[in-house]
Amino acid sequence: MSNNPTIISRVIAGGVVFLACCFGLFRWWQSRPQVDLGLRLTDMVAETRAGTLGGGPVSTEVVDIEGTFVEFESAPMGESSPWPQFRGLNHDSISVGDVPLAEAWPEGGPPVLWGHDLGEGHAGAAIFKGRVFVMDYDEELGGDALRCFDLFDGREYWRRSYVAPTKRNHGVSRTVPAVSEKYTVAIGPRCFVMCVDTETGAYRWGIDMVKEYGTEVPLWYTGQCPVIKDGVAILAPVGAETLMMGVDCETGEVLWRTPNPGGWLMAHSSITPMKLLGINQYVYAAVGGILGVSAEPESVGELLWSSTVWTNSVTSPSPVAIEDDRIFVTAGYGGGSMMLGLKQEGDGIVISPLFELSKKVFGCEQQTPLYFKDHLYAILPKDASALRGQFVCLKTDGTINWTSGKDQRFGLGPFLVADDKILLLDDDGELTMMRASTEGYEQLARHAPLAGHDAWAPMAISDGLLVLRDSHHMICLDLRVGASNSGTKEQ
Amino acid sequence: MTDKVEKPKLTRMEFLSLTMGRLAVSALGAVGMLGWLRRRKKNTVWQIDPMTCVSCGQCATHCVVSPSAVKCVQSYPICGYCRLCFGYFTPNAPELTSAAENQLCPTGAIERLFVEDPYWEYNIIEDACVGCAKCVEACEVFGNASFYLQVRHDVCVNCNDCSIARHCPSDSFSQVPADEPYILKHDQELLA
Repeated sequence: MSNNPTIISRVIAGGVVFLACCFGLFRWWQSRPQVDLGLRLTDMVAETRAGTLGGGPVSTEVVDIEGTFVEFESAPMGESSPWPQFRGLNHDSISVGDVPLAEAWPEGGPPVLWGHDLGEGHAGAAIFKGRVFVMDYDEELGGDALRCFDLFDGREYWRRSYVAPTKRNHGVSRTVPAVSEKYTVAIGPRCFVMCVDTETGAYRWGIDMVKEYGTEVPLWYTGQCPVIKDGVAILAPVGAETLMMGVDCETGEVLWRTPNPGGWLMAHSSITPMKLLGINQYVYAAVGGILGVSAEPESVGELLWSSTVWTNSVTSPSPVAIEDDRIFVTAGYGGGSMMLGLKQEGDGIVISPLFELSKKVFGCEQQTPLYFKDHLYAILPKDASALRGQFVCLKTDGTINWTSGKDQRFGLGPFLVADDKILLLDDDGELTMMRASTEGYEQLARHAPLAGHDAWAPMAISDGLLVLRDSHHMICLDLRVGASNSGTKEQ
Repeated sequence: MTDKVEKPKLTRMEFLSLTMGRLAVSALGAVGMLGWLRRRKKNTVWQIDPMTCVSCGQCATHCVVSPSAVKCVQSYPICGYCRLCFGYFTPNAPELTSAAENQLCPTGAIERLFVEDPYWEYNIIEDACVGCAKCVEACEVFGNASFYLQVRHDVCVNCNDCSIARHCPSDSFSQVPADEPYILKHDQELLA
């Protein structure tokens, strides 16, 4: 009988491994979780009370959208370069005016022409013919108020308000009105739509999108800003049957509707008119997907394309057109970004992702990115790791061109371009002016004209006069060359 | 003209005994004060500064107590009472309900209660909380940052050399007076 040491050592090793496994199994069997775990099911009682599972109590609230009208002063419309809606004349946050801005600001900051207290919220201004239009929330009344001010001295011309009590939920007001020569359309936080005469404030019509179209008011209220095109208000109720529609501003008649077969829901983003593949269209990113609707006269309202490749539970930024055949979409809350490409295939248009970017490369939580000089610009959200809060310039191939650096971080505030400069507002009301350059971050001036917090409302600029606000206060700054401090007119 | 009142003169013995007595009383007072200060310094407990905590998750794994003595706490004055709470729901949760697949907390330690439209209240169930800070991180990044971590002194054994403090990457652990054992975020924000 041979005594092979190799076999013996193998038997011993095998036995040790076996015993170790048995011991491990025994310990696993004996162990208990650190905490008592149980089934976690939907709390049906709470959800039923909240009405979030459908079939909840139907609201009997009737809102008289015509409401009450107060005229403070009367004067003919003036002149100024237009910023007539959300993101300006061309829906790109780029000023079309040619008034040069001062390269630097005087000590104490640029002059404040006027200021007004507003209801708590993030509603930005539209500027048209020397007037400033704001969809405010009147906290005393408990309802929305469309207000018209003078751009140059801040006088209030008129105010149309209706009672619709809305509880503060990270502020109340959210949207920017759309203003044209004859009509002004505004959407309240709870999706009440109001159309009035631009000059006089005379009531035209109103729509309760929740009641009439089954709209589900988004979390923290709607951020959708309306669009007016050729006398037609373009709205996205994203209700049970109607996703998008065109309403005649003169009569309130619904001219066309785009169906909502996918049961998508309203997001915080806004409809953006674009010309893609040579076709004018309205592009909208809903909760559920993104779609393009024809804006051509012969086929207006027809669905051109749709896709579910881009959807987030919360989407605030609106889609951005890149040249003729691409759309850039982004979101905060971990959403990241995506470049979508459009192609004509047969009779239809096909959309597909060209590339995706993680939240650590590019994203934007509340504001829509700028597209300027073939580059995209945005402030990255707090979950962007090393780039959190930095202002980032992105090439359209998805690579970072430059960042503002770790010493220059910002919040969730708005930004726009005027006179080849970028104006950027921080959460706490600090305004930064930088060169709009693809070469790098070059700061020109900085000042804090607002003392409040949550300065997230989109800004508006006309002929060097910048209208901006924090959660409670709106001011107009004179950024023109040679502007001097001659006292603030607070009202 | 005023009469001068002459003070009675002390004898050497009287002077010495008076001085010695005063010195003895002063020494006793100093010893008592030192003892009190030392005692006060000794009565400290470990606590996390919520303003510097980076929600790294190491509190859950480095505490000698199991589950950790570090728990999430909720600051109600700071909370936004949102229906979509980023500290409660996973990113892009399929539904905004309390079903397990929607919850971010691995142990279901957050209770979600409907208050009135549009408000929901979020409460920490401390027995179930393991201090992993997943909710804290999400609330900090996307919300009002009302969730934060604190060492709970009904659970903490107050080690001389806190195991978590040794591993804390942001040096957020410090010893604080035992009579003020918590660093409340709401108070910090008011101070700021």
